[in-house]
Amino acid sequence: MSNVPSSADVLRIDVERRDDTAIIRLRGSANMDVAGDLRERLIELVDTPMDQLILDLSELQFVSSVGLGAIIAAHLRCRHHNCVVKLVAPPAEILELLEVTKLTNLFTIYGSVESALAAQ
Amino acid sequence: MLFDSRPLPHRVVIPSDLRAARQIEEEIIRETEALGYSPQCAFAIRLALEEAMVNAHKHGNNGNPAQRIVITYDITPERAVVRIRDEGRGFDPDCVPDPTAPDRIPLPEGRGIMLMRAYLDAVRFNEQGNEVQLVKERS
Repeated sequence: MSNVPSSADVLRIDVERRDDTAIIRLRGSANMDVAGDLRERLIELVDTPMDQLILDLSELQFVSSVGLGAIIAAHLRCRHHNCVVKLVAPPAEILELLEVTKLTNLFTIYGSVESALAAQ
Repeated sequence: MLFDSRPLPHRVVIPSDLRAARQIEEEIIRETEALGYSPQCAFAIRLALEEAMVNAHKHGNNGNPAQRIVITYDITPERAVVRIRDEGRGFDPDCVPDPTAPDRIPLPEGRGIMLMRAYLDAVRFNEQGNEVQLVKERS
């Protein structure tokens, strides 16, 4: 048994600030052992002043309920600051997961970062 | 399919720790991929394993790394069968609220069992409620 997951499985979190927006690009897999780090990182981000948090999921390969919980926790904290969380371009498997959990009722999903930025 | 307590060929005992759980998850996924399970099927098995491991660690063992998680499994060309057992007192899975109810959708937790059931062919708990059996037919 390998002791170390492959590098492709590691979750990478890239942050870009554009005016009052934070664009977070998640790449790789938000597995159970890194979901806590994701939650802390997102909460830390939304505690800085901003109008919206855009989560680009286009290169997210995997997420389980703890990773989804991290996104929901960020949404709840964001709402407290009158900020909104938008999801962008989840791959088919992730979109199905959002639909099965009915989180599509909680989040608006956009096809691209640009369309999320343009939406009011 | 009822909970089946017959022994399975592979048995691994790990400390209640998510990194250790992740390693056995990777081993099981590698076996499914080697047998030609589809990416969608592997995604479903990975998801269910994560949900079951997190439940065992967090709720069963209260996050205590001194406690153990026992994983037994059999991956064949036809199906994957995995059992995950914790050292907790168990629970009644029928008493877990529906996380897709409108008032529960905004909650960050409580989706694990629903996702296991949504993505697998069978999910069964032992009578005590501290062991879950996951079955996914190959596709």
